Amino acid sequence: MTAVGSKCRVCKEPAVIDLPRHNAHFCAEHLQQLCRRQMTKAIDDFGMLSPDDRILVAVSGGKDSLAIWDMLVEAGYSADGLYVSLGIGDYSTESGGYVQRFADERGLNLQVIDLRQDYGYDVPTASKATGRVPCSACGLSKRRLFDRAALDGGYDVVVTGHNLDDEAAVLFGNTLRWDIDYLARQLPVLPATNGFPKKVKPLIRLTEREMAAWCLVRGIDYVVEECPIAAGNKHLAYKESLNAIEARSPGAKSAFFLGFLDRMAPLLAGHSAAAAGELNRCAECGEPTTGEVCAFCRLVEKAAKHDPVPVELVLSKRARKAYS
Amino acid sequence: MQGARTVNRLLDDLELNREAHLVIRNGTLVPGDARLEDGDAIEVRPVISGGAT
Repeated sequence: MTAVGSKCRVCKEPAVIDLPRHNAHFCAEHLQQLCRRQMTKAIDDFGMLSPDDRILVAVSGGKDSLAIWDMLVEAGYSADGLYVSLGIGDYSTESGGYVQRFADERGLNLQVIDLRQDYGYDVPTASKATGRVPCSACGLSKRRLFDRAALDGGYDVVVTGHNLDDEAAVLFGNTLRWDIDYLARQLPVLPATNGFPKKVKPLIRLTEREMAAWCLVRGIDYVVEECPIAAGNKHLAYKESLNAIEARSPGAKSAFFLGFLDRMAPLLAGHSAAAAGELNRCAECGEPTTGEVCAFCRLVEKAAKHDPVPVELVLSKRARKAYS
Repeated sequence: MQGARTVNRLLDDLELNREAHLVIRNGTLVPGDARLEDGDAIEVRPVISGGAT
């Protein structure tokens, strides 16, 4: 006898997960039903996708991006994947393996960009060469490459796996700084404009715990280990803080972020530089930028000339401790 | 760790936030009130990822 455990709220079969924010337990089948419904509601409420859209999913090998790719394909959407190999040591090698196996097992189309092979740098080197923190160099590279791949490939929309926890943590950070420009841009749909492709986040109504559970019950293998560079970053600290609040007050994260979208975001409409159309064309690549040469071209220029830097040299003190 | 306990009790004993972890017993996901016995194979899986972009 190893367990009694609670029953699924829907079918009364043994539950596999408790979700305090729904004040309910669910079996594997009805957990999936809940996740599908939440994704569909996000897509419908915000006009994220049309049934015949050509979708490019930004995949990392983590639970969220593989889960949303799985959910979209299951729902009948036409979705290809794009993986960017960032050159973060063994972590990138392992992540790329999970993505490739996921695509191969399901016969899905996966595109791969290797920063070192295709652009002559990697994230640790870009960080050292430009003085940017690694997560900034990584995010800038990924955003630009996803945008470019979507436009070049004729895709209608880029899908990312940002979940409720991701968005609530970003909102928390932006609010602590009252960063109006970032707050005004924190939307689940960024329309195609100013040379950028449409970008959407269908997982904004689902938590990290729910997405990890989706992967487990669907048999999706993903990279569980955290990016070694991210260990100890502020984003994780915000998530820990919000989860401490959530433990005391289930549903707090959802109320915080979805309430922002419902009641605050409309008041901020038009307050970002991008929304105001204050963009030039990069003198190097022709893509949108607020300056003369875009941040990505400046990063590539410096990073590709720099000697390769191993990941260990760009870890914070806390990250080094976690990595060793 | 020795001794039977619930999943929630295990996470509390390990000082881990329930919202940030899943527990897998003998290869199957189990909820917070599931009972764990000595001899069960237990994986406590963190679910938090840190990319901010």
